[in-house]
Amino acid sequence: MPVFAVAGSGTREQVQDLRLDVHMQLVDTPRAATILLVAGAIPEELAEALARLHDSIPHPRCTVWWPLGAPSGAWLGSFPHHVAIEDQVPGRLTAIQRELLSGQRPSEPPILPDVDAAPWRGVGPFGQGGTGMTGGTPYGRPMAELGPDRDGLRLDVLPLTVGPFFPRFPAGLVLDAKLAGDILVEVAVRDNPFVTNSVRGNDRAGRGPFLRALTEPVSLAELELARARAHLRWVADALAACELAALGLRVLRLATAIMPGDSEPVESLARVLGWTQALGWSTRGVGRIEAAALEGLGAGPVARASGLPDDLRAQDQAYRDLGFEPIVQAEGDAAARWRQRLAEATQSLELAGRAGDRRTIPTGSIESPRGLLEPAGGPAARLLPLIPGLLEGMEWGDAVTTLVSLDLDLEEASAAAGQAHGEAVAS
Amino acid sequence: MSEYAAAGVAIAAVGAALLAGVYFVAVFDRLIGALVEGRPLQWSRLLAEPVQSSALMAVQQRRTTERPDAPAWALAPALFAGLAAVALAMVPLDRDLVATDPATGFVVFSAAIAMVMIAVYLHGWSPNSAFALHGAYRYGAQALSFQIPFLLAMLATVLPAESLSIVEIVNAQESLWNVVRQPAGLPLYLVVGVAVSFWGPLNLPDGSDLAGGTSVEDSGLSRLLWKAARAAMLVSVAAMGAAAFLGGWWGPWLAGPVWVVLKTVALLGVLLASGHLLARVRIEQFVLVSWVVLIPLALLNVFVSGAFLL
Repeated sequence: MPVFAVAGSGTREQVQDLRLDVHMQLVDTPRAATILLVAGAIPEELAEALARLHDSIPHPRCTVWWPLGAPSGAWLGSFPHHVAIEDQVPGRLTAIQRELLSGQRPSEPPILPDVDAAPWRGVGPFGQGGTGMTGGTPYGRPMAELGPDRDGLRLDVLPLTVGPFFPRFPAGLVLDAKLAGDILVEVAVRDNPFVTNSVRGNDRAGRGPFLRALTEPVSLAELELARARAHLRWVADALAACELAALGLRVLRLATAIMPGDSEPVESLARVLGWTQALGWSTRGVGRIEAAALEGLGAGPVARASGLPDDLRAQDQAYRDLGFEPIVQAEGDAAARWRQRLAEATQSLELAGRAGDRRTIPTGSIESPRGLLEPAGGPAARLLPLIPGLLEGMEWGDAVTTLVSLDLDLEEASAAAGQAHGEAVAS
Repeated sequence: MSEYAAAGVAIAAVGAALLAGVYFVAVFDRLIGALVEGRPLQWSRLLAEPVQSSALMAVQQRRTTERPDAPAWALAPALFAGLAAVALAMVPLDRDLVATDPATGFVVFSAAIAMVMIAVYLHGWSPNSAFALHGAYRYGAQALSFQIPFLLAMLATVLPAESLSIVEIVNAQESLWNVVRQPAGLPLYLVVGVAVSFWGPLNLPDGSDLAGGTSVEDSGLSRLLWKAARAAMLVSVAAMGAAAFLGGWWGPWLAGPVWVVLKTVALLGVLLASGHLLARVRIEQFVLVSWVVLIPLALLNVFVSGAFLL
């Protein structure tokens, strides 16, 4: 059944795992869905965007909330309708869809009033023409304006806002872009509610081993296995962004099946991915980041793919005993970030196999699969300011490839802050 | 009267073949997807799912946008499916079994392929939506790049037949199929065939980076019809590939029409598998490769094929 899923705070992996069920079809546009599935807590700032999303789903439709540990009060007050479900999600959603189609369950009415954003003053039979309908934002609608093009011409520049629930972006990311044809000429990243305002109360989902390692000793084997899994989960998503959704599901299944010490499945996966050109024509040379721009950002695999041997693990005695050496790539493009994560997944599985009962010593910061994680901030928040400079001048498709390759997890930092806060309260 | 009856039968046959083809593509694509995913096959699911999801789309509301070009939006899938039907009508099942065999069949087919650009552009332009329009322009760039190599790859098959009739093109392959005679022809045709029906690695106008591109605003019946029209075009491209390069009805033991169907299925398998095994191509690269590699290669193919006939 077609479902448009919105992954709230700390629910990314659970929502991703829904794809493994044959009944679930996670669609890219609300127009194709019958069910809006909201997982976890959504910040109040996104309520209006979510309502807009809800209203663009065709009838019959239904909103389903999957709290995943978020308290019942975390549901958006301004968003009236929903069915809450706890578990057996695919089965429950199938039943809800059946009720919708048979008429037992009424389709949800729109939340926002169905009116034009501003009065339309076009005069022709198709609403075209009229005065003052070119350039600027006549009657509340941003229109294309002339601007310089890279070829030295003056072409239309279209303002476009993408997000906060664009399927290829992490939930909450909003880009204000200006497009000249296929080229992004100007990009601004809006303040992100997941970064600026920590959404708390997500015990079940939020307690990954990396968050726990901030405050308590965690076994190296567990951390490294989780790291390899996180990298493979990224590969699964990135494959869907290259139009290879079925292969992505195979990788997602592999992510849950891998075992410490057995890196052979990941190595053979890397070979298969080489044939598909996912590390070739679709990513090579795209989104190159110079090492200097990443210096001191603690950007984990992104920094190491640009040649910075920047890894907290290298300072940890337990890792040094295992002979850990950071892997680096030289190119710094999206393909290098693919290779980096695949190589690190292999390395992590080997480390996990040799780690025995070694444990970390909590120091208040940890090398997460995405980079340096500490209560003061995660890697995504530090990478966001780089995005405008990185994307400007790119084609839209390359911009999406680049953003996907950064593996932004916007609410990791607030989860880390929440973790530290929770521990302080507990002690 | 019998003339009209014959035309009616031919039109109904093409329509039925396309409908069967669309269903087959839906099942076959899911089958390949399940194999790539490594999921155990459930045949009843594979066979039933296209019907179920079509039924769902048929009962869903058709949403509209602010100030769409409603007639163009409704007509675009019909135009696309109609062009697929025109293209398929040119494909002979056997020497005497063809919906229509105009002396200029090759030209009719090429014209249908060229017009696909209009259908896709209309589909992207009509909903008055940024991503849809973006997809439409991408197809413009894609179509301008693939149409010349497409035409040239097909043109080479006309030379040995010394005729523009598709039946004659197949007839001329009795002793030697064009896939052997012109080794560059079929690969070129397949690359471009994927681009025409914007499938898999060349699904740029409806790509996932545009959340569905020209079909981002489609819901309900519009979505169903557009999906069906795309699958229909893929069937037509595969069927014409079987006729122009794989010898159409020629083959030992089996009856002619069976060979045509088998060869079409084989080409469909290649086209659909590319969608699950090859990553998306960047539009800039595709345009570059089309003009710098595919056109010279297709020209060379024509020259070499011509030289052998002198």
